[in-house]
Amino acid sequence: MNQLTQTGDKQTPEATQPLNENSTLKVLLDTLRRLTRQPLGLLGLILVCSVIFSALFAGVIAPYDPVALDILNRLQPPSAEHWLGTDQLGRDTFSRVLYGGQIALQVALSSIALALGFGLILGLLAGFGPRWLDNIILTLFDVVRSFPTIIFALAVVTLTGPSIGTIVLVVVVTSIPIYGRVVRTQTQALAQQEFILAERAMNASMPRILFRHMLPNVIGQLLILASMDIPIVITIEAGLSFLGLGIQPPTPSWGSIINDGYSFIRNTPWPIIAGGLPLIITTLGFTFLGESLRDIFDPKLRKDV
Amino acid sequence: MAINTIQKGLRLSRRTLLMAGTVMGLNMMVPFSMAASDEVLQSRSYVDITSLDPANYLNAVDEDVMGAIYSKLIYFKPGNKWEWELQAAESIEQVDATHIKFKLKEGIQFSNGFGEMTAQDVKFSFERAAFGENPAAAADWGGALEEVEVTGKYTGVIVLKKPYQPLWNLALSYAAGNIISQKAYESVGEFTNSPPASSGPYIVKEWRPKQKVILERNPDYYGEPSAYKEIHINQIDDEKTAEIAFESGNLDVTRISMSSVQSYRETPPDNSQLQVFPSLFYVWLGINFENPKLQDPRVRQAIQYAVDVPSILQASYFGEAEASTGIIAPGLLGHRAQSLIAPEADIAKAKALLAEAGVSNLELSLDVLNKATNVTTAQIIQALLSQIGIKVNINQHEAGSFWTLGSEKAGERWKDIELILNRYSMVPDPYYATVNFITSQKGKWNWERFSNEEFDQLNEQAQAELDLEKRGAMYQRMQDLMEQSGSYRFITHEAEPLAIRDNVSAGLRPDGRPLYRHFKPAN
Repeated sequence: MNQLTQTGDKQTPEATQPLNENSTLKVLLDTLRRLTRQPLGLLGLILVCSVIFSALFAGVIAPYDPVALDILNRLQPPSAEHWLGTDQLGRDTFSRVLYGGQIALQVALSSIALALGFGLILGLLAGFGPRWLDNIILTLFDVVRSFPTIIFALAVVTLTGPSIGTIVLVVVVTSIPIYGRVVRTQTQALAQQEFILAERAMNASMPRILFRHMLPNVIGQLLILASMDIPIVITIEAGLSFLGLGIQPPTPSWGSIINDGYSFIRNTPWPIIAGGLPLIITTLGFTFLGESLRDIFDPKLRKDV
Repeated sequence: MAINTIQKGLRLSRRTLLMAGTVMGLNMMVPFSMAASDEVLQSRSYVDITSLDPANYLNAVDEDVMGAIYSKLIYFKPGNKWEWELQAAESIEQVDATHIKFKLKEGIQFSNGFGEMTAQDVKFSFERAAFGENPAAAADWGGALEEVEVTGKYTGVIVLKKPYQPLWNLALSYAAGNIISQKAYESVGEFTNSPPASSGPYIVKEWRPKQKVILERNPDYYGEPSAYKEIHINQIDDEKTAEIAFESGNLDVTRISMSSVQSYRETPPDNSQLQVFPSLFYVWLGINFENPKLQDPRVRQAIQYAVDVPSILQASYFGEAEASTGIIAPGLLGHRAQSLIAPEADIAKAKALLAEAGVSNLELSLDVLNKATNVTTAQIIQALLSQIGIKVNINQHEAGSFWTLGSEKAGERWKDIELILNRYSMVPDPYYATVNFITSQKGKWNWERFSNEEFDQLNEQAQAELDLEKRGAMYQRMQDLMEQSGSYRFITHEAEPLAIRDNVSAGLRPDGRPLYRHFKPAN
């Protein structure tokens, strides 16, 4: 059993010791092995790797410039020249889908990383800090969560104008409470554990307790949660771009590709299919992967424990 | 439990129950699929009504409804020519440049027992609209009304401060010319979207905000009863949604998108036809006259020359719209036969102008409403301007945000406007278009902040000019001035494609806008 997955009940002070390189590799290989044993996990891994690969190498794979207009060849069906046809401005839809993946992952990964970082810090402080600080942080979380994400996004975009930065800001602000609450709950449970009480009895500093002992015990669960949130964030970005309030043209986004497709659906169904398919693949891929990772890491769900 | 009891009591099997449910469900759908009846007309508006008070109207849909529930002295005739006909007036005559005598028809009744329409109601309605605080209604009267003199129960004289030519095609025949009952108004004190009294063939039965307005036959109407028992004006913002509603039989008449014109023409939905009308809308690329980046006229002109209008018409309007020469549409007084700058781009000249101005690495924002046609046009402009080295960043806005961009009352965003893709509506008097671009409209509707003394003077003089030829020439000159300023690249007047059910005889203005009182079932 790897140290990161131990719950508070089974935790020992030794379990929080830093992992050396060999054990990290061992954990990774073990996780990969378990993942590939599960059909859905394997499928999720393949889908996620495909999306990441195509986004990373969009510049190499894409046969055309995604913003180059060719009005005379607009709304063409799939052909040998244009695998997914062309949009209303004659742009190659396949190339736009590939570059749209870059935007989707860029927004998802950066905003989730930031939200996770802030959520972690605030959650640790709320869970382990004084009661009054817990109350303040929880109130802030509740205030933020009371706004539906899209409505909040619409308000922010109206005030600041649409951009990638705005989308990231909206996702970070609305996601921090999700991670923060999970960390807070975990931290409060861990705070009553013997190894933490022992550290406190030895006058260990708060940063040491939080970052050396608490953090390794909550980060695993948080990462799984984050991987399952990636498709949600991608959908938010696509939704805002669909409404014209996200990524601005001519930069391709899956949402704006779907919007273009919707506007010209009577002329050709291909842009809407081309924009929708990667969203489905990505959502399924990250969901399968996240659920499989949860099954592997959560001892309560593991059949071999 | 309850379902089981019912099943037992009625001796129903699960399968029978499911079948019964299906049949009931299908029955519930019948009223929608049979929308096109002789009793009820299902129409569509792109926006909700704002006010059914003629003195406080804001949009064209308000007038669509008001035109059915009120009466005016004169009214646009349905057909393909811009002509008006007498409505509440038995006669109307221009005695001299500032006096118009009218006589009302006798026996025009207001609904809900508010009695007969009199010249006093005309005076009350016109003066309230002309002297009120609503800029739309007041602008329709152009500050020209002195008073309405009541000379008898049914007779009166409209007295103008100055000759005012838009009187006929704007003030009297459009929204601010609707006559309401003074007695009814004073009985409620405040006008809502359920008017206390109507004099048209329809009355407002119900207004469901953001959903629909239901008009029903006015039992007190003095003329021939309305052809339909009810007219439902459904608010459907999105044209694609409206097309689906039309194809599924839920609508009898709707505007469709330009991208669907070809398919409707080739294979129209069952029992329907496509009619394309010349629109009065005007679309243009606005270039901020006062923005520091654009103060050199050569930079503005370079942008004008770089925009290739035929490419926009091809991609955004599917070749179904013509290039415009200005803001006044063909067929109207003041229309220009051609613009000063040809619709086709002249990239070499645009580059030369930029070089002459010593401008390079220019980066500009282009604000645009988030509708498919507008965004497509914006992207073409973006690509075209990149050819002369101008980087354009497109900012899409939803309607609420877009329509307050240039308003000084709505904050400071007007200062950030650089390029803007805009589209205004129009009535058949050129004054209605030019008045938006006078200096005093800066920060209201003049978002390019264009200012030209000659333009302002001509706008004032043209209102009063009785010689139509001279008046037309003035408006042509005004469009020349707009174009020469470099602040405008005129694009198109679009077109108004309507899908109409075969069993509907639609009463429409020449630009395709509905005159609901003239709609009737087709034989």
